[in-house]
Formats: sequence, C-alpha cells, structure tokens
Amino acid sequence: MKTTHVQSLVAGLVACAVLLVLAAGPVYAHHSGAMFDRNKPMVLEGVVKAFQWTNPHSWLQVEVSDGKGGTKEWSVECGSPNTLARTGWRKTTFNAGDKVKVRIGPMIDGTAAGIFVGAQLANGETLGEMK
Amino acid sequence: MKLKHWMLLTTVVACGVAQAQAPAGPGFNPGDYTGVWRMMGGTIFDRSTAEPANAAAGQPGARERPPYNAEWEKKYLARIELVKQDKLPDPISNCGTPIGFPRIFNAPDGYEFVVTPKQTWILTENGPNTLRIYTDGRKHLPDDFIWPTYTGDSVGSWQGDTLTFTTIGLRGEDGTIVDRTGIILSDAAHATTQIRKPTADAIEVKLTIEDPKAFVRPWVVTKRFTRIPGGDEIRIMDYACAENNRNPVDADGKTLTLDTNGKVIDAGRSRP
Repeated sequence: MKTTHVQSLVAGLVACAVLLVLAAGPVYAHHSGAMFDRNKPMVLEGVVKAFQWTNPHSWLQVEVSDGKGGTKEWSVECGSPNTLARTGWRKTTFNAGDKVKVRIGPMIDGTAAGIFVGAQLANGETLGEMK
Repeated sequence: MKLKHWMLLTTVVACGVAQAQAPAGPGFNPGDYTGVWRMMGGTIFDRSTAEPANAAAGQPGARERPPYNAEWEKKYLARIELVKQDKLPDPISNCGTPIGFPRIFNAPDGYEFVVTPKQTWILTENGPNTLRIYTDGRKHLPDDFIWPTYTGDSVGSWQGDTLTFTTIGLRGEDGTIVDRTGIILSDAAHATTQIRKPTADAIEVKLTIEDPKAFVRPWVVTKRFTRIPGGDEIRIMDYACAENNRNPVDADGKTLTLDTNGKVIDAGRSRP
C-alpha cells in the first residue's frame, strides 16, 4: 500500500513525540528541563499566533481565552528544527490563525509556558500524545 | 643538478610522502561511517545505571552510579539538589562553550563520523562541536605545552575495524560536565575509548574513564549510535544555539523563559 504524505507526516510526528516524551533528549539539549512538570500535563485550546521554526528550540505561540473576553498568550517549547524535520515536522506544521489543541508539560512556577507533548491540528489530525 | 643527486632527492621526497601518508597502527579497515547518525538512549550518559531506569537528563532526582569516592559522591549529591532547584550550572546553556569530552558522545540531534587514515573527526550538529582524534602516529602534547580544555587532546590508532584512542588535558570540575544529572570529572580524569561498527548501521563507543581524584575504579560506559535512515535530505544543518535563545540563565543559575519580544515571562525574574 502506498503511504501518503499525510500518513508519513503523522507517523513521524507521533514517533517524534514519543521520543521527546520518553527520552527527552532533543528538548533538554540546551537547558535543563527541571522547570517543567511532566506529571501534570494540561491542554491549551486556542489559536496559533506564531510558529518560530528556530534554533535551539522551535516555539509555538498560542492565544488562549482568559474567560474574561480577552486572551492570554502561551509559549510552547518544541525541539530544534533539525531533529523535528527528520521526524516529519515542517516549518508549515503550524500556521498563524490555526485553531489547535496543544498538550503541554506546564512550567512549575505557573508561567504561561510549557514543553510540547502533543497537539490536535486544525485539520483534526493528532500528533504526539494527546491522551 | 647531476642525475644521481636528482634521483637521491626524488627518493628522499618520495619516502617522506609515503611516510606521511602511512596510516598509524597495524591496520585501517573502519567500514562505512558515512551518513548522519544519532545517539541512542537519551542524554543520560550511563543508561545502564540510571535511576529511575527511564530517567531523562534534567529530571529532578535522577542519577547514575559513576564509581565516585565518598568525597565526590557528596559533590554529586549536592549537584543533584541543584538540578531539583533548576540551578545546575551548565556552560553550554550560555551558547558558546564546547560540550567537551566525554559529553560529546552524549549529544542529541545529528552526528557525523569523518574517518580518514590520519585523523577522525566526530562532529555533533548540536552545539556544534568537534572531537579531533589524531591517528598519524603523533603523541599527546607534552606536559609543558598542554593546558586544560573542554575537549582535551586525543590521539590513537586503528587496529583493523577498531579505533582506540586516549584523551587527556580536561578542565575538571569547572568544565568537564558529563550530563545534566550533575556528573562531573576532576582535572585528573583521562580516558581510553574504542570505536567500532558492530553492524552496518550501528556505531559502538566504549569509554573507559579513569579519574584518580574522583573514582575508586575505572568507569566503563558504552554509547551506541544508529544511522538515521532517509534519502539525501538527511544532512547536518545549523544548530545555532544563540539564534533564538529564549532560555537565558540568570545570575542565580536559573533558566529563564522569554517571550517573542525578549521579555522575561517568569514571575519575579528579570533578564540577566
């Protein structure tokens, strides 16, 4: 059976997320991961403001409703483009305006930021670990 | 110039070239090291003694069992406490110092192993970093010349499919950091490393680290690498730690988080 690009991408993303969650090597290459609470994951539901495809980390900026009519911007740390690209990610995996759900390991001190665990993309595809 | 003088000069030059090109050691049969590789097992240096077994580097409380003496075990425990506070000093977080030896065998992202008869270069995408191993017969730098560095001085030789080399001249406590559980070595540390390819798509690196100040016995650790599959799109790319470093370290050693405008978003913290 011929594997489609989407299937390859999703498989790659899942493999990457599993690698990040289990080994955590690429994410914690540049700095300590002690700031994140991986045992209390949370899901952000919002709109992508920006996706920074940069070293040493890619960053996903998500605007989330604050429940008061406004929004709060969250910073989600991902791996380096090099490693992400080898596992199926592309610079266009997230685009400004996309509606997404993103599962993160939040920062312990309550800062509006966290480490990427998984996401549900605008097209309904799931990548990484969302459960 | 008379003919016999010309022939003599030619012979001397030819011998010199032949000598310079001759590989050190009784054999040079490395196998195929081309392509891009990645380390297996995450950035815990000695996965075989990791506690917990699936620990991630930087995970509060995670540790390994290097054969420290009592004095250095105490230092390790103190550094494990710093990890819990997110204050473990790590030079590479500041973007600019080499990852060093032996940690160069403990990096994420891609690797290249550039093998020639006279030198082997191990290139890490992360960093980036380079370990140069001279195999042309030269000796280590003499005591009155060498100075402590992150990567040290490595020389060795090939015996068939195995490269064996020794490394000296490491910085010690203030710069020879092995991984983010907090393992460090002293300035007396030195190592003998063997590199070989047990299968076509595997590289095995066996390090025997001796540290008369810190260890009660040699520490033997094996690191494994696998070739990253794929087509010609698989290549080493820029890592560029300082490109968009949104995690600077403040004066307390705390890793900060910046927003897209460079403003610190950690409560009660300011940019260093």
